[in-house]
Amino acid sequence: MSFSESHKFSAEGIAHIARIIDQINLGIWEYNTDTKEVKWSSGFYSALGYTPGEIECSYNFFFDQLLYYHDKQIFLKATHHPRQGGSPVAHIRLLTKQNGYQWFESTTQKHDAADGPVIYGVLTNINALKISQIRAAEAEFKSNEIGRIAKIGSWEIDTATMGLTFSKEMYDIFELNTQVKMSVEEAISFFEPQFRQVLTNVINDALNYCKPYDIELLFKTAKNNVIWVRSKGIPVINDHGKCITIRGIFQDIDSIKRKGITLQSSITLLDDQNKRLQNFAYIVSHNLRSHSGNLKFMVNLFEEAKLGEERTEIFSHIKTISESLSATMGHLDEIVRIQSEISRERKLLDFETIFNNVASALHTNIDRTNAVINTDFSGCPQVEYIPAYLESILQNLLTNAIKYKHPNRNPVINIATQKVGNDVYLVFEDNGIGIDMQRHGDQLFGMYKTFHQNSDSKGIGLFITRNQVEALGGSIQVDSTVNVGTKFTVRLV
Amino acid sequence: MNTENKNVTAGIVDDDEIFTYGFKKLTTIKGLFDKTLNFSNGKQAIDFLKDPQNAHRLPDVLFVDINMPVMNGWEFNDAFEEIKSQLGKNILIYNISSSIDLEDIKRAKNNPLIADYLLKPIDELYLAEIARSLQNPTDRRRYN
Repeated sequence: MSFSESHKFSAEGIAHIARIIDQINLGIWEYNTDTKEVKWSSGFYSALGYTPGEIECSYNFFFDQLLYYHDKQIFLKATHHPRQGGSPVAHIRLLTKQNGYQWFESTTQKHDAADGPVIYGVLTNINALKISQIRAAEAEFKSNEIGRIAKIGSWEIDTATMGLTFSKEMYDIFELNTQVKMSVEEAISFFEPQFRQVLTNVINDALNYCKPYDIELLFKTAKNNVIWVRSKGIPVINDHGKCITIRGIFQDIDSIKRKGITLQSSITLLDDQNKRLQNFAYIVSHNLRSHSGNLKFMVNLFEEAKLGEERTEIFSHIKTISESLSATMGHLDEIVRIQSEISRERKLLDFETIFNNVASALHTNIDRTNAVINTDFSGCPQVEYIPAYLESILQNLLTNAIKYKHPNRNPVINIATQKVGNDVYLVFEDNGIGIDMQRHGDQLFGMYKTFHQNSDSKGIGLFITRNQVEALGGSIQVDSTVNVGTKFTVRLV
Repeated sequence: MNTENKNVTAGIVDDDEIFTYGFKKLTTIKGLFDKTLNFSNGKQAIDFLKDPQNAHRLPDVLFVDINMPVMNGWEFNDAFEEIKSQLGKNILIYNISSSIDLEDIKRAKNNPLIADYLLKPIDELYLAEIARSLQNPTDRRRYN
């Protein structure tokens, strides 16, 4: 029940109410629109920092001196609201004695009294509230701005309903114009297929085991742009340790990630090249050293040997060393040439044609071993490559397959080409003696690395093949089982 | 040379035929060893040592190259360690190589099984010293 309904006011009662009005810590005022008479409560003065009588109590003084000019319109609109009994609220700034303009909430009410229409009003200082509101709005604006600049959105999953809420920036990253509500599954469907399960798993782990996560994923926006994003989720737990909310950020890290990926691949490439060069220098030094050591050894022996036939024998070894030295120099030339030939023009080559050239050059070896060679170049009949390289690669692999045939069976060699995306693969499979990958896998393509007791193994072929393949940006991979066979998979381009 | 010297058999384990030839020739000319066996890789040497039929003709010293096909010097060292206790003879092992890679040198020197690491071309004087110490068993104590 309200005051006005329950009271029948006596004169004493009215005086009492007037005292209450004066003492209450609110600015209460009354304005007769006909007589222009104005009454302000003591609280009105004190709200503005004055004592009663210190300032002129008039409508004009209030309107001209106290009310901030910008808020006049708002105040007039609220005060002269046509609706009887309504209490329109306006937020206005009034000049205080000590603290400059402060925010007040103004509530007004119209009432028709015997001596004309009267407007009553109450002023409450809401400065602190208003300032914090403004600050909050600024902070929100700033945080949105920061999110926009950093391309970071924020999101929340309420575990009770599995409802998903997004900040505005989330929609910008999703490239969605309208801020539609989305389910968790719908949001996950924006990620590239190979990442959907990953994301589902980490979200489930966060839900069930309160495990936070921080992962990088490929994401396809509503406009079909595929970008790298970072998703970080932190479970918020209740008193019982149950996850009630997952809160997280979502960031577009595409440019950073792509730069990182490019950088990483150049580092890997440089690293590989560096290792190869180091290995190369080591091998050259080792190989030349062993020849020159032998040469010195034989020359000394030659001097010590007394018998003519001994000397002849020693001299024949010196000749062999001289030949080995020339061969080593030849290998070095070949490796240097690989590097210099990179810039040679690539041509569109027929696998069939090149292979037939190679096979006819090796026909004596093929015939002698009764080798069966099956080729299938239909998967990719042609490739843009440096002709000398392709010939050399095919020749080395074919020579190897024949050289390391199994002693108990004729060689069967299957050669095929494949196109996967933009990559061209050459697959070379034999049924030879195979190689122990566990023991020799990492040395297989090393220079002068030989693994079989085979007098014509020089350890140069695969070394050169790998250099040629890698010089043109490809790669070579090998699978092998001892006594079963070997399979080389060469990614040419 | 002292008449009390015992007979010394050496073994060379290396796939380099020229080096093997030179080694045998040199030791013959210098009269360093009474007999020199040769094996073209680690596996051949291990197979020979393991065979009980060869128990009476085991070498006193083996010079084992590092770079060899089938079974290289490192693998030989490991295999030798396993059969060492079953051999009726204490056999000295030297690693030999053209490799001046510090890692290789350290690896051999850190192996208590290996008497030393010799760089190719082999130092004649050092070889003679090794032969002398084997011929005169009192000097051998330091290896036992």
